[in-house]
Amino acid sequence: MTALVALTERVVHDALRNDLPFAALSPAANFIVFNFMLGNVIDTGGMSYPQYVLPVVVIQVIFLGALTTVDRAAHDERSNFGDRLRTLPISAVIPLMARMLYCLFRGAVALLAAVAVGYMFGFRMFGGFIYAAAFAVLVLMLTLALSLAADAAGVLSVNWRGGIAGSGAFTQFLLVPQMLLVMLSTGTAPADSFPDWLHSFVRNQPVSQVTQTLRGFATGHVVVSNLATSLAWCLGLLVVFGANAVRIQRRTQ
Amino acid sequence: MFVIELDSVAKTFDGAIQALEDVSFSVPTGSVCALLGHNGAGKTTAVKILSTLLRPTSGQATVAGYDVTRDPAQVRASIGSVGQIAALDWELTGRENLVLFGRLRGMRRKDARARADALIHQFDMLQAADRLVRTYSGGMMRRIDIAAGLMVPPKVLFLDEPTTGLDPRSRRDVWGLVSSLSAQGVTILLTTQYLEEADVLSDSIVVLNKGRIIANGTAEELKRRVGSGYCTVSPVNPADLSKIFAVVAELEGAEADYEANTVSVLAPDGVATLAEVFRRVDRLGVELVDIALRKPSLDEAFLHLTESVTT
Repeated sequence: MTALVALTERVVHDALRNDLPFAALSPAANFIVFNFMLGNVIDTGGMSYPQYVLPVVVIQVIFLGALTTVDRAAHDERSNFGDRLRTLPISAVIPLMARMLYCLFRGAVALLAAVAVGYMFGFRMFGGFIYAAAFAVLVLMLTLALSLAADAAGVLSVNWRGGIAGSGAFTQFLLVPQMLLVMLSTGTAPADSFPDWLHSFVRNQPVSQVTQTLRGFATGHVVVSNLATSLAWCLGLLVVFGANAVRIQRRTQ
Repeated sequence: MFVIELDSVAKTFDGAIQALEDVSFSVPTGSVCALLGHNGAGKTTAVKILSTLLRPTSGQATVAGYDVTRDPAQVRASIGSVGQIAALDWELTGRENLVLFGRLRGMRRKDARARADALIHQFDMLQAADRLVRTYSGGMMRRIDIAAGLMVPPKVLFLDEPTTGLDPRSRRDVWGLVSSLSAQGVTILLTTQYLEEADVLSDSIVVLNKGRIIANGTAEELKRRVGSGYCTVSPVNPADLSKIFAVVAELEGAEADYEANTVSVLAPDGVATLAEVFRRVDRLGVELVDIALRKPSLDEAFLHLTESVTT
């Protein structure tokens, strides 16, 4: 327990200058880009665009945030510091847990920053405290799932082809699914705005489902089947990515 | 009683590169053992296996009575491991690093601070302790690095090339440190490329070459096998070389090297041999550039040991 606290403090300390400021600022930047680029061209019916788009801004920010874990995990795997951690009488999973606690903290900071910016442009949590809390829980679940995946990618990047590619290449590669999932989702625009042949993908992919649920939490009206789909995605990804991250962390040469 | 025991340990990387082959040795409790060898000899691989960072491909190794593959957690609880390059968080101060490693070993923050204080005093690091590690010199980094391995006094301390890259003064400091730790009863396994270092610090030496043990014993035993040093003489005028050779020719192992402009004789008695050579040459009235005792270099030692293995 002491070890977990000490390592988490270390991650936070290291991130204080080089990562947390970006965690706090990137929601504003992303919100402004989405809102002013797409706000006047997309018909969201009765809902204002800030109200409509904020959930996908949050998703975008936690995607990008998860990618910062790739580097941290790769560094811990490759560095002498990481080697020394593996000679200490602590579980191999503790450094992973410390990085994940930091990711959740970072996710919470980004979420608060995003909601704060949204409020300045007219976004509101209409549903009250319970819905707002549900909004936060769903976002943090997805944050953890994506961070676990990014963490595993970081560890693998060190051993893949002798580390030639490096974690930077992995991060760039991971930007591709991130861009596709965010851009081709109903988070940025209703499905009708996309070409017909894309409709079924756009409607059913996880970012669309989760942003729809988040919009529901914000307005106070959730469709049960959509909530079930979102929860299934988040829990499923948590289990799959979590199991893999732990398995990768545990193996020794 | 042995605290480290290896029994026919082998390690193969990617099924092809043989890093260690049939390595067996043991280290008695409370002693200092040096693994001596060139780069790529397998020293670091051996230390990594003993500190549970790598699994042996075959064979058995135990540390403090625990098997490194079956009981890695118990092994980790018994060891302190200091790698080749400082394994510290460069964005923390030296003191913060010590406290961090103490807490990673389960110490409470207060106790870790007190222990860090004590080690900073013991290692004479008062001025540097509160600066960021990335501003440290190599010698200071090494000291904090070793101190971090001692926050909870280990039964066994692994030091992988503790003096590589250090200036002579810092090297002496580390030597002093190793001796005082050994005096406190810590068993130490260190790796080194320097015969002299192994000689000064260790009770026993294991010589590794290309993943195999080519010699194993006390420094004295090894030196006897490697052969004694040489006394070499160089005249100012190369033409005097043959005159010098003539007066020392009857001494053991006398040889003249006209290309290098030196005459050398074996010096089994060290300084006494040097004095004898000097007396003889002095009578000639020849002007000298240099007269010196030269210990066999590690290269010569290896050459000698590998030869004695193959013949």
